[in-house]
Amino acid sequence: MDRRQFVIGTAAATAAAALPHAASAQAFPSRTVTIVNAFPPGGANDLVTRPMAAALETVLKQPVVVDTKAGAAGAVGAQVAVSAKPDGYTLLSHNNGLAGYAEVDKLFGRTPKFTRADFIPLARLSADPVLLLVNAQQPYKTLEEFVAAAKKEPEKIVYSSGGLYGASHLPMAMLEKAIGVSKMRHLPTAGGGPAITAMLGNNAAASTQSVQATLQHVKAGKLRALASFGAQRSKSLPDVPTLKERGIDVTYHLWVGLFVPKGTPAPAVSTLSGAIAKAAQTPLFSDAIAKIGLEPGFLPVADFTKFWDEDSKRSADAVISIGRVQG
Amino acid sequence: MTIRADHVAGGALIAFGVLVFAISADLPFGTVSAPGAGMMPKLTAGLMMLFAAIIFITGKQSAPASSIDWSDRGHALLLVVITAIATVIYTTLGFIITMTLLVFSLLVVVERKKILPAATYAVGLTLFAYWLFGMALKAPLERGLLWF
Amino acid sequence: METILNSLALGFSVALRPDILWFAFIGCLVGTLVGMLPGIGPLAGISILLPLTFGLDATKAIVMLAGIYYGSQYGGSTTSILMRIPGEASSVMTCIDGHAMAKKGRAGAALCIAAVGSFVAGTFGIVMLTLIAPPLATFALRFGPPEYTALLVLGLIFLAYMSTTSLIRTLLMAAIGLLLGTIGIDVMTGHFRFSFGIAELGDGIGIVPVAVGLFGLGELLATPSRQVAADIMRPKLRELLPTREEWRQSTAPIARGSVLGFMIGIIPGSAHIIASFMSYAVERKVSKTPEEFGKGAVAGVAGPESANNSASTGAFVPMLALGIPTGPVTAVLIAALLIHGVPPGPTLVNDHPNVFWGFVASMYVGNLMLLLLNLPLVGLFVNLLRIPYAYLYPLIIMFCVIGVYEVNHSIVDVWIMLIMGVVGYCIKKFGFDPAPLVLGLVIAPIFEMSLRQSLIMSDGTWLIFLQRPIAAILLAICLLMLALAVMSYLSQRRDWRAKLAEAEAASEKN
Repeated sequence: MDRRQFVIGTAAATAAAALPHAASAQAFPSRTVTIVNAFPPGGANDLVTRPMAAALETVLKQPVVVDTKAGAAGAVGAQVAVSAKPDGYTLLSHNNGLAGYAEVDKLFGRTPKFTRADFIPLARLSADPVLLLVNAQQPYKTLEEFVAAAKKEPEKIVYSSGGLYGASHLPMAMLEKAIGVSKMRHLPTAGGGPAITAMLGNNAAASTQSVQATLQHVKAGKLRALASFGAQRSKSLPDVPTLKERGIDVTYHLWVGLFVPKGTPAPAVSTLSGAIAKAAQTPLFSDAIAKIGLEPGFLPVADFTKFWDEDSKRSADAVISIGRVQG
Repeated sequence: MTIRADHVAGGALIAFGVLVFAISADLPFGTVSAPGAGMMPKLTAGLMMLFAAIIFITGKQSAPASSIDWSDRGHALLLVVITAIATVIYTTLGFIITMTLLVFSLLVVVERKKILPAATYAVGLTLFAYWLFGMALKAPLERGLLWF
Repeated sequence: METILNSLALGFSVALRPDILWFAFIGCLVGTLVGMLPGIGPLAGISILLPLTFGLDATKAIVMLAGIYYGSQYGGSTTSILMRIPGEASSVMTCIDGHAMAKKGRAGAALCIAAVGSFVAGTFGIVMLTLIAPPLATFALRFGPPEYTALLVLGLIFLAYMSTTSLIRTLLMAAIGLLLGTIGIDVMTGHFRFSFGIAELGDGIGIVPVAVGLFGLGELLATPSRQVAADIMRPKLRELLPTREEWRQSTAPIARGSVLGFMIGIIPGSAHIIASFMSYAVERKVSKTPEEFGKGAVAGVAGPESANNSASTGAFVPMLALGIPTGPVTAVLIAALLIHGVPPGPTLVNDHPNVFWGFVASMYVGNLMLLLLNLPLVGLFVNLLRIPYAYLYPLIIMFCVIGVYEVNHSIVDVWIMLIMGVVGYCIKKFGFDPAPLVLGLVIAPIFEMSLRQSLIMSDGTWLIFLQRPIAAILLAICLLMLALAVMSYLSQRRDWRAKLAEAEAASEKN
C-alpha cells in the first residue's frame, strides 16, 4: 500500500462513516457494522474474525469493526450481543461454547440469561480439529499410556482449559466420559493462550487445544500430541492418530461462527449471510486462513444452521457430563 | 470524646464490609482444594474490616473529624452534577452536543465566564477533540440519535 | 557474539530500508498519539490499524504495530504529568510526582526526563532481548500459578512498606482494591458476583475508569480555580530542560527502573503493570530524601517511567522466543504475525531471520525516532499549561469522559469514573492514598486466579508455595520485609515516616 493511500484511505473511511445519512440512504447497511468477538486477542476467534471483518468491509462497502468483549469463557461477549439492538449492525463471533451457557445455568438452577434460540446463525468461518496434548516432559508417550494412567490415578493428572464449560474444556470432558474417568483435576485459565502457557510451563500435564494454536509447540518438541479429535488425521500432523481409529468414538472441532441476535430483520440477515459467503471467497480471507494454518471449514448459512443443531446437542451433553462444579 | 477522622473512616468501612458479607452470602466459599467464587470476596472483605478496625481503634491520634476542610464542597458538587448530566445525555445526544454543553456549562455556571467566549471555546474544543479522536484515530465516537 | 553481530547487521540492513523506516515512523507517531490520549491505549490502537496491515508484508506490519506498542509507552506520561489523568494503569505512579513537578513549574523537565528515561530503558530492553532472549524465556515459563501468587504478595507488601501513609492505611486501601476487583463474572466458576443487574459489570470494574476517577477527577473536585496560583503552573520557556541537578537525580533511578522493569516484563501474564509500582517503591526506599516523594521528586518520575518502558520491551521476549503472549497486546502482535504467514515460536529465528532481526533492529531505530519525536513535542505540550486553569479543567473533564468511554464504549464506565471521583475526593480528606487501591484492583484478577489455581494444582495443600523454589524465595523476602517493619516499629527507631510527619507539622506552622 502506498503511504498516501494509507493516510487518505483512513481519513476517507472515517469521513464516510461520519457523514450523516439522510432518510434516502435506507439501504442496509448504511453505517459501521460491529462484530463482537467474545474471546481474547490472539485466539482462534480473533485470528479468523479479523480477516473476515476486513474482507466483509470490501463487500458491504461499510466499515466493519471488531469489538473484543472477552470474559467468562465467552459468556460476556454473548451477553453483550444479546442485549444489543437487533438491527443487523451488531454481529457476534463465537464458538462451540455458545450453546452451553444455558445448560450450565440449568445445572445450577438459574434462569438462563440467554439460550441458543436468542441467536440466528449466519455462517461457520472455520473448523479446526482439537488435539489431546501433553507436556513433552510427561511420561505419556501414546494415547493408550495416557488413558491407562487416567484410569489408574486420575487425580494425579492436572489438565488446563480456557475456561470452565468452555470450548477447550468440553472435549476433555467428552474423552473422560468415553473412557469412563471423572476425577482428573481441572485447571481453568483465562483463555486458550494461558491454557497452553500453563501446559508449556508444565503446570498442567495435559490439555485439549486446536491444531492451529499448538502446531508450533508440537513441532518444536515442547508439547506431544497424543491423539486428534478430528474425523480424519490432520494434514499438518499425519502421524497423530484420531481417537476414532483407536476405538474411542469422540470427534470435536473447534469452530468459529458468526451470529446475529434474535429479532434482526430477515432482509438484514440475508444481506449479511450473503455478504459473508462472498467475503469468504475473497483471497483476503482465504489467504489469511491458509497462512494461519487453518483447514478451510466454511459453511454457508443453511449448512451451518443444520450443523449447529447437532453440535449444540453434543456440547449440551458434555456440559451435563461435567456436571455441577463445586464452588 | 471527640469524634476523630479515623473513627469516621474506620466505622464507615466496617459498615461497608458488613454490607459486602450480606450481599455475598449466596456465593459459595468452596473447599481449599477447589476454592469457590465466594472465597476471594469474603477474604478481602474480611481483611478490609480488620484493617478498618485497627484504624478505628488507633483513631485517637488522628485529627478531629470536625477539622477536615470541606470548603471546596460547593465546587465539587457542581462539577459532579454537571458531569453526571452530561453522562445521562451522552448516548442520546451524541458527542458534539454533549461535550459542547459540558464545557460551556462548566465555564458559565461554575466559573462565571461571559457567554460568548465560553461558547466559542466550548465549540472549538469539541470540534478539535472530534477531529483528533474521530477522524485522525478512527475511534468510533458516540453519535447519538442525530448522527453526529 | 559474532553470530549476534552478523544477525544484527542483517537486521539493520532490513530496518534501515526507507520503506521499513517509514512504517516504523508511522507506528511510532500513531503510538505516541494513542499513548498520549487517555482511553485509546496501545491495544485499541493496534486493533484499529491491524486490518490496514493486511496488504503489507510481515516485516512492515510487525514493525509498524510494534511501533504503536512501544511508542504508546512513551506518550503515556504526557497526560499524567500535565493533567494528572493516567492513560493506563502503568502511568498511575507518574501522575503523583510528575504532576507535582508540573505544579512547581517543572512540567518540561518532567516530560524530558520521562522521554529520556523511556529511551534508555527501551534500548536496554532491546539489548537484553538481543543477547539473552531464549534462556530468559525458558526461565520465565517456570512462573506458574504459585510463583505468581508469591510475586503479587511481594508486590503488595513492598508497596505497603514504602508507601506515603502508614502500613495499615496502605493495606486497607489495597484490600478495598482487591475487593472491587472481585466484581464481575468469576472466570473459574461462572458465578456473576455483585452484578446489581448491570450486564457491563460482567467483565469487572475497569482500571482506567477507576484510575482516572481517583486521580484525575478527584483532584479537580478538590481544586476550585481560586486556589490555583496561575504563575507557578505556567512554565517559562527557558526552564523547559531539566537542570544538571535533576539529571543527576534521575540517572540511578532510570538504571534501576530499566533492570527491574525488564525482569518483571518477561514473565507471562499481565503482572508487568506492577513494574512501575515496584520501581516507585524502590526509589522511595533508596532515596535520601523520601519525604520529597509525592511532592515532585524527580526519581518518582524517572524510575517508574523507565520501568514501564523496559517492561514493555521485556514482554517481547516470551513472544518472540516461545510464541506465547505476555499480555493482550503481544497476543494481538502474535495474531498479526500469524495472519501474515509468520508463525511466532521457537522456530521463528531460524525460519524467518529477516523478520526477526529486522524487527529487533527496527526497535533500536524506533526508540531513537521516538526520542527525536518526543523531545521537541515537550515544548509544545507544556504550552497547554498556559491555558488559565478555569479554562483548562473543563478540557480535562472532557478528556476524562471521552477517554473512559472510549476504552469499552460503555456509559457504565463513565458512571464508575464519576463515583470514583467522589470517592477519591473523600478518601483524600481522610488522609488515605489512592495508589494502593488502584494496584489492588489491577492485581485482583491475576492474584485470585493464581491463588485458586495453585490450590487446585496442590489439591488443597498450602505447602505448594514452599515446595516450589522460586515461590519460596519470593515469600521469604516478604517475611523478611515484614520482620524489618515490625523491628523498626518495636525499636521505636525514627524512620523517614516520622521525619515526614515532623516536616509536615513544621510546614503547617509556617
